[in-house]
Amino acid sequence: MVMADEEENGVSIQLEFPKGRVKKIMALDKDVKRVSSEALFLVSRSTELFLQFLAEKSAQVAIEKKRKTVNLEHIRVAVKRHQPTRDFLLDELPPPSQAAKPDKPTQPAGRPKLDPAPRGTRCIDQFFRKPEPENTAQAPGQPPENPAQAQSPENPDQDQAQSPVPVDES
Amino acid sequence: MAESDNESGGHTGNASGSNEFSGCREQDRFLPIANVSRIMKKALPANAKISKEAKETVQECVSEFISFITGEASDKCQKEKRKTINGDDLLWAMTTLGFEEYVEPLKVYLHKYRELEGEKTAMMGRPHERDEGYGHATPMMIMMGHQQQQHQGHVYGSGTTTGSASSARTR
Repeated sequence: MVMADEEENGVSIQLEFPKGRVKKIMALDKDVKRVSSEALFLVSRSTELFLQFLAEKSAQVAIEKKRKTVNLEHIRVAVKRHQPTRDFLLDELPPPSQAAKPDKPTQPAGRPKLDPAPRGTRCIDQFFRKPEPENTAQAPGQPPENPAQAQSPENPDQDQAQSPVPVDES
Repeated sequence: MAESDNESGGHTGNASGSNEFSGCREQDRFLPIANVSRIMKKALPANAKISKEAKETVQECVSEFISFITGEASDKCQKEKRKTINGDDLLWAMTTLGFEEYVEPLKVYLHKYRELEGEKTAMMGRPHERDEGYGHATPMMIMMGHQQQQHQGHVYGSGTTTGSASSARTR
């Protein structure tokens, strides 16, 4: 029978808010001693009605301003338009200056740049390795070195002592 | 049984509320934001969206509403030297504070709530029918139960005139 009545009237007594939480909020007032179950039920239900009212009015404001998202300013306007709500809520709303919250910019870490030596650079040690037979074999293959050695007075002596064949040919 | 639960719950809540406002109690000052968000979305057009900031603000607004109504009802109880806030106190408070349009739909809900409570009592083994349940009610409840306005089908009708009439009778 109750179910039939509920269906006919479209009224449900299922509460949307947890009773314990509603009771705690009511009890924040030190003067509140005891609350009957009916009173708790009525507060929960009236809060739902108030919430629906506030949401609908805020949506209207958003539509008037051609916005799809309801924001803080729309709620403020909706509150101002209803005298009873305005009486107890307007002072509780955050001021407009706090509406905008700046986001913290994230700074990426700088990369340390490596400066490798360019290829093709020769070591000074190579000049001291020339007396060795292996280096001597490489010397004729490198034309730019010949003029340098020719200019040096000590180099010709070494060349003659180590490689008599090229001297004889020239 | 229910009354006893309310008493213990009330005391606990009162103690917690008045003694400390620590971090873990901070969230107890507001209704769950998931519930708030769900009801808001039901009331809005399908394509509408709600910013997170708006949800949090409304969350605070509804808690303020509860405190506002409760405070007024509590004051009335104190003047009449009663310790328990009942349903009539809250209906009176809403009328006084300018939310008289809520009274009529709330009476419809309250009527069904009492019917359900009556059935619960019956299921506990007490041998009486739902109709007899009113026999045990107080004169005020009987009067409210027999009002024609109680049986109106509409939920969110204007009901301003009816509300005023009810208020007048209550006073």
